[in-house]
Amino acid sequence: MKETELREIALFLSKYASTLWGSGVHTSRVIRNTKRIGEALNIEVKIAGFHKSLILSAIDKDTQVSTNVLEIIPHYAISFRINKNLSMLSWEAVDDQLSFEEIKKRFTYWVEKEKMHPMLVRILASFANASFCALFGGNWRSMVAVFLGTFIGMFIKQEMLHKKYNPFLTSVFCALMSSLVASTAVIYSATSEIALATSVLFLIPGVPLINGFIDIVEGHILTGSARLINAFLLILSIAIGLSFTIIFIKHILT
Amino acid sequence: MILGDILFDAFFAAAAGIGFGVISDPPLKSIPSIAILAAIGHATRFCLMTYGGIDIASASLVGALIIGLGSFLAGSIIRCPMTVLSIPALLPMVPGIFAYKTILSLIMFLSHSSNIEAGTPHLQMFWSNGLIAITTTFNLAVGAILPHFIFREKALSLTRHRHPKVH
Repeated sequence: MKETELREIALFLSKYASTLWGSGVHTSRVIRNTKRIGEALNIEVKIAGFHKSLILSAIDKDTQVSTNVLEIIPHYAISFRINKNLSMLSWEAVDDQLSFEEIKKRFTYWVEKEKMHPMLVRILASFANASFCALFGGNWRSMVAVFLGTFIGMFIKQEMLHKKYNPFLTSVFCALMSSLVASTAVIYSATSEIALATSVLFLIPGVPLINGFIDIVEGHILTGSARLINAFLLILSIAIGLSFTIIFIKHILT
Repeated sequence: MILGDILFDAFFAAAAGIGFGVISDPPLKSIPSIAILAAIGHATRFCLMTYGGIDIASASLVGALIIGLGSFLAGSIIRCPMTVLSIPALLPMVPGIFAYKTILSLIMFLSHSSNIEAGTPHLQMFWSNGLIAITTTFNLAVGAILPHFIFREKALSLTRHRHPKVH
């Protein structure tokens, strides 16, 4: 294999790994998948991963020529679809002995595939949070308040993330707006506290929380801690946003 | 009546699971599995707590374990990584009310900062609610990822074709 060819493959592999990483996939899966594609192309891959960047070393198994790439991990929205389909691609590369061109083509296809419409996501997330309110024992009036709160909070979240605002600031502001809207339940409902408590739960960062645990148990303590700290700060941001609302309406609640 | 309560719980848990799933851009094929897992997990916790008298933290551990095992089974059928199914299914079990009460009691405690005596009950509420919220969340995470390590080798190849072509 020519050195330029090896370089091109290494650049692709680092792009593949950083896309997975940025979409919320836990560390060991990113490393395994990337190594697997490397194996399919007769290349040994070694990865050193950090929270915001990764170093990838690709070694041609025949000639032992190697090349290194330092890739910055982009911050994408979490995507289970990319997680699943790019993991599948890594197996297809091995099992179907795909060529490098074919792997690149399928990668681009999965990454550029259209997402679910943001409006549909907003509506379903609002139904989810309203159902959550029912699970906690809220009545239908609280459910309506939570639905509206989530709908508005979700809209603000999508807009703020689209405009690349700081994620912590986004969480504070969304939690504040959602809980403020849901707090209108105080006026006409007996289960207003449940409405208030559930209105912000769609913001819970479940993915970094679970991935952080998985990383730590699997020995990737550095990236795992980074994920957990990130999740903890997001939860703290939600708490700050919610506490503004509680301070506003404290005298009614007690 | 009991069955009605359980179905009510399972239905809303499924709806919550779907909604929390779509926030994270899931593959469309995975949505039915997420709904079923969320329903089974939450209904199990509901039964354990309501009829078994078990505390929320332990019941959550059992619910999460069932979701974790279920995500392995469902994942091997629809070729999907376990976390894609288990994370959205877990979210309806997040102890939101306890987390909320923790924040509320902290604010109430702070508002009594000139009179510590009056603030003490709030401080107690802060610690008890906070501990329950943290332990429950911790148990949810542990329960969901345990199957990941039990089925280690198989869990790694869920996204592979079940009949790889032989060359």
